[in-house]
Amino acid sequence: MSAGATVARRNTLGRALLYAVLAVFAILYLMPLYVMLVTSFKPLEEIHQGNMLALPDTWTFAPWREAWGSACIGLECSGVHGYFFNSIKIVVPAVLISGLLGAFNGYVLTKWRFRGHKIVFGLILFSCFIPFQIILLPMARVLGILHIANSTTGLVLVHIVYGIGFTTLFFRNFYESFPDELVRAAKLDGAGFFTIFFRILLPASVPIIVVTIIWQFTNVWNDFLFGVSFTSGDSAPITVALNNLVNSSTGVKAYNVNMAAAMVAAVPTLIVYILAGKYFLRGLMSGSVKG
Amino acid sequence: MSFLHIHNVHKRFGDTHVLKGIDIAIEKGDFLVLVGPSGCGKSTLLNMIAGLDAISEGELLLNGERINDVHPSRRDIAMVFQSYALYPSMTVAGNIGFGLEMRKVAKARRREAIQRAAELLQIENLLDRKPAQLSGGQRQRVAMGRALVREPQLFLFDEPLSNLDAKLRVDMRTEIKQLHQRLGTTIVYVTHDQIEAMTLATRIAVMRGGELQQLGTPQAVYDDPNNLFVAGFMGSPSMNLVTARITRHEGRLVARIAAPAGDVTLPIVRDRAALEAWCDRDVMLGLRPEAITDPASANREDGDIHEATLEIALVEPTGADLYVVTQLGGRSINARMRPGAPLSPGQSTRFAFDVSRMVAFDPETEARIRDEVPATPDEASTGHADSTGNADSTGNILGQNA
Repeated sequence: MSAGATVARRNTLGRALLYAVLAVFAILYLMPLYVMLVTSFKPLEEIHQGNMLALPDTWTFAPWREAWGSACIGLECSGVHGYFFNSIKIVVPAVLISGLLGAFNGYVLTKWRFRGHKIVFGLILFSCFIPFQIILLPMARVLGILHIANSTTGLVLVHIVYGIGFTTLFFRNFYESFPDELVRAAKLDGAGFFTIFFRILLPASVPIIVVTIIWQFTNVWNDFLFGVSFTSGDSAPITVALNNLVNSSTGVKAYNVNMAAAMVAAVPTLIVYILAGKYFLRGLMSGSVKG
Repeated sequence: MSFLHIHNVHKRFGDTHVLKGIDIAIEKGDFLVLVGPSGCGKSTLLNMIAGLDAISEGELLLNGERINDVHPSRRDIAMVFQSYALYPSMTVAGNIGFGLEMRKVAKARRREAIQRAAELLQIENLLDRKPAQLSGGQRQRVAMGRALVREPQLFLFDEPLSNLDAKLRVDMRTEIKQLHQRLGTTIVYVTHDQIEAMTLATRIAVMRGGELQQLGTPQAVYDDPNNLFVAGFMGSPSMNLVTARITRHEGRLVARIAAPAGDVTLPIVRDRAALEAWCDRDVMLGLRPEAITDPASANREDGDIHEATLEIALVEPTGADLYVVTQLGGRSINARMRPGAPLSPGQSTRFAFDVSRMVAFDPETEARIRDEVPATPDEASTGHADSTGNADSTGNILGQNA
């Protein structure tokens, strides 16, 4: 028997083992999602029969309708849809503004270096390591002074401030490898500070913009602590509403409605991953400089 | 007044003195090549002309106007970068027209100008592509188009060919030269490649360690180097440098060079007055490979040929020439012989030395030992029109002008 055949067989065996392990972990990871989905489509009686993994005998969209439009959260019985839009109202400006500021910081910190730029970057970076809990009280005070406590606007501000550290880090590292010669060429061509940023750097930043959007969107959308601390009642984001929904159900627990509401809360981040993920690997920088 | 005048320009980055007082003046239509090993400050000097680096000390005059503090975009200068620096998100047309767009040139006129530049560089069919879809040579053309379209007073090239493969590099070199001849533009070009410098320049500035070593026409720099560095840097294969003793032999001043089969004695015909002072001392003698030939291909009309018999150590045929290596003054030296000459290692043969092309250097200071002190770069620009009637045609670096 030739050595090559042995190696080939060992390779196939290794591959098979590798895929088996991956499959096991994928199943393990997807199991909760599966349980959530099937439960959300089951009528309550079927759930009480106890077979969690079984597919629904009768499919029903009623739990989803209820979760979206009529489930009781506290005293209000109009479902999570209002809170869903709260979260959208928070996430969109928070992601856009923190991303833009981060891109801008990155641009200045790499292409318009000033004395002490390293210290400034270090300080911005430091904000990534500040735990959420530490800033709760001071932030509440600040929001009070600004008269935006208990509002989605206040929460937007919190997320922008907290996000700048990360977005700056992303963009700075990306622009660090962005060729300086492009900026120099644009300067000679007569482009100013903002023109260079918006016409040259930003259009070439799609990969890092996608990363930033995914990161910021997920963080802001999934945030619970800031939401529960700085908002109340109508202005709460969906994560807080979900918690309240689950806690405020009296008597029989409507697991199917809770699961449907949880799915509603999870779907936007899933969509962002699916839509933006394909841009992840796209290198738009190729061709601007040598090679 | 010269067109571009770099006057006593210094550059300091903190404590490091990168440029130590550079003086260069060129005329309109000149092709100045800044050449030197990496780290000699040539790119820094170019960036200072472009306005991308600040000038620590000294003056920069373009067309008589001091431009030290003029913003890069208002200097009427265009630059081709080493990496081409094409804007990745714009099409070729967008890249070429960006400078005009920034200068608020109307769209119709812009399109015309882009078309003209594209035709000149034969890239009309690429105008809608993105830089990523172009080959290296095409990117190079687009980068040049971006500079050409603005019709600036001065073009700067920062090692534009160093990212191309060898064949394409030669083609583009020719094209750049043709472009210069056709458009009559003034160009400052940085390279570390001395062949590029020789082929393209009307003036070469050889730099080392932040100092200008020599400024002159390619031929002057090649034939009449200011010092040992310039002699060794320019030319490929490089100049043969051997230690020789200046003595008097039968009343004539000669250079005696040690060789395995007995000393070779060559008469001094060039820089004789200066070398009188070096009698009975060692100097460094320089002779280009093409000034050492076989007797049959020696240039007896213009040259002053002296022959000697030496043993061949190595034969290197290149097709066009036959380089023969032999031992002289304790070093291996290169001689350029006629291709196909029946020569083989170990054989002794006659070598013809053209002593009229021999140059001598002070082995200590590495400075050239020569009769006349060459004109300073300042005078170089003024003496541009009148070839000063120097006795020795090669004695003055400004002897031959373009």
